[in-house]
Amino acid sequence: MQKTITRRELLAAAAGAAALSACNVAKPVTLARVSVVRAPAYDQSVYETVGRLLDEHRVNVRGRNVVLKPNLVEFEPESSINTNPIVVHAALEAFRARGAASVRIAEGPGHRRNTLDLAEAAGYFKTVPHFEDLFVDLNLDDVSRVNPPRQFSRMKKLYLPNTALGADLLVSMPKMKTHHWVGATLSMKNLFGVVPGAVYGWPKNVLHWAGIEESIADLHALFPRQFALVDGIVGMQGNGPIEGVAKKVGVLVAGADPVAVDATCCRIMRIDPMRIGYLQLVSGGVETQISERNIQQTGESIASVETPFDLIPEFQSIRLENS
Amino acid sequence: MGIMSIEELVGKQNLDGGWPYVRGASWTEPTVYAALALLAAGEAEYARRGLRWIAGNQRADGGWPAQAGIDQSTWVTALVALLPPEQLGQEAHRRAIAWLLGMTGEESTLTYRMREWLLGNTRPADQEFAGWPWVPGTAAWVGPTSLAMLALEKEYSRRPRADVRRRVVEGREFLVRRMCHGGGWNHGSARALGYESRPYPETTGQALAALRGVRSPEVDKALTVARRFLAECRSAEALNWLRLGLLAHDELPESYCVPPGVTSRTLPDRSLEMLVSAVQEGSDLFWG
Repeated sequence: MQKTITRRELLAAAAGAAALSACNVAKPVTLARVSVVRAPAYDQSVYETVGRLLDEHRVNVRGRNVVLKPNLVEFEPESSINTNPIVVHAALEAFRARGAASVRIAEGPGHRRNTLDLAEAAGYFKTVPHFEDLFVDLNLDDVSRVNPPRQFSRMKKLYLPNTALGADLLVSMPKMKTHHWVGATLSMKNLFGVVPGAVYGWPKNVLHWAGIEESIADLHALFPRQFALVDGIVGMQGNGPIEGVAKKVGVLVAGADPVAVDATCCRIMRIDPMRIGYLQLVSGGVETQISERNIQQTGESIASVETPFDLIPEFQSIRLENS
Repeated sequence: MGIMSIEELVGKQNLDGGWPYVRGASWTEPTVYAALALLAAGEAEYARRGLRWIAGNQRADGGWPAQAGIDQSTWVTALVALLPPEQLGQEAHRRAIAWLLGMTGEESTLTYRMREWLLGNTRPADQEFAGWPWVPGTAAWVGPTSLAMLALEKEYSRRPRADVRRRVVEGREFLVRRMCHGGGWNHGSARALGYESRPYPETTGQALAALRGVRSPEVDKALTVARRFLAECRSAEALNWLRLGLLAHDELPESYCVPPGVTSRTLPDRSLEMLVSAVQEGSDLFWG
């Protein structure tokens, strides 16, 4: 049988070649700090835990404008599809308590147009007081034209919402989920939600045609002032990000470097971050932030919280065990 | 859900003549819906400034951008083409229809099909018929296809032409192929990696509105799903489209009332609500 090389394998090979070529050029890498903390349930304790995480990372938001970007996908409060509103409310209160000038919640779902209805069904109105006053639908926000500083995809320009572009700190708050096109959807993939549906439609298919992994890398480069806070209390395994099933992990994962945070989440899910295309792309194929030795991890060890996520057959090769 | 008054709608108009989604700058989509709602209410004078704003934003290729200043014509061109030519301007409308007739999802272009053929890939059944994309250079989806079909159906009722008819017929086939297994539509992906996906109320309503006049077992199945959604759904946008979809097939129960607690949150939602009422009262602005 003729063996064909998939794009993913080609990418890994290119990354490997780049790593080899870089062997003789030892570049100093700043350790990226990532915290893994236990959070057994969506309850009152989440509020204290999120505050502790921000203090641990010395997140200085005094006088700054903070935008929280959860992952809102579907009208299903009981499923594990959306970022839980308690985590978002906890972050809202924590940033306010630390002197943020403003804290807004913003999202632009990829399939459903009725964002506020979706948020209501997902429990946000019930959990977050005055939610509607705090929320910006990024699909309908006013936009500005930007050019990705490092162009990984074919997109030379993008129109992006002013609320996200104007944030002093954009806090990506995804759900820890598998993804049927890119393996895992975490804080970096969560930025697809800043691409406005009013311009690009529902789904934001322009990102698929430009290359999903490349587009994730482009968006990552466009938002240098980020903090990542991943809802891994209950994640989604199998055919994520929509049709998968709930997977209890009981952790929150946080850090100022989304690449290192996502690589850590992958390891918790027992996925090899070196085989996630967009992580390879942004790290330039020389491991940098996705290598464990370049991550200063605090809190729980990965071994103590790792929880193998079921993967669809197409992604069995990204399991850590199979690497 | 209280229907917005004309004064309220006019009060939300920006100084440039367009309307925002909620607040802020003018966008093509809310401006078209507002203009349609005003025209349906017989308020042509109030609609005029909005129509001028729309006409002023037509691009050289005949299409419209989502917002003034965006350098690409997109799906909103179908919405603009729903406006009566005598209100938009005959030439502007003719060019809008020409833009729609020249637009397909990228997967239906000759270049793409040739490339797939050279790679030895067989064409999936749901790519056999051409629909419309949100943005040129990307795939066709249920939302923009439904809107384009509504505009072309209306055009056909004014000026019957074979090329318009052909695209409408092809669009119908596209929608039937994109239907979810149990009936109804989502954004346009009935199966992903072999897994069945579920329908959404809003796109089910849109597709049914576009399939007005079509009788088939598939449409009957979709109508059953739409009736179920109508009873369960609490989203204003979805309820507007479900009502239009059911009205298109004379299947909206006469006694139907929007349940209490449903909130219209954007200007298109509120304008569409006005349009649904106008259609129920016999306005032909939506279907011609």
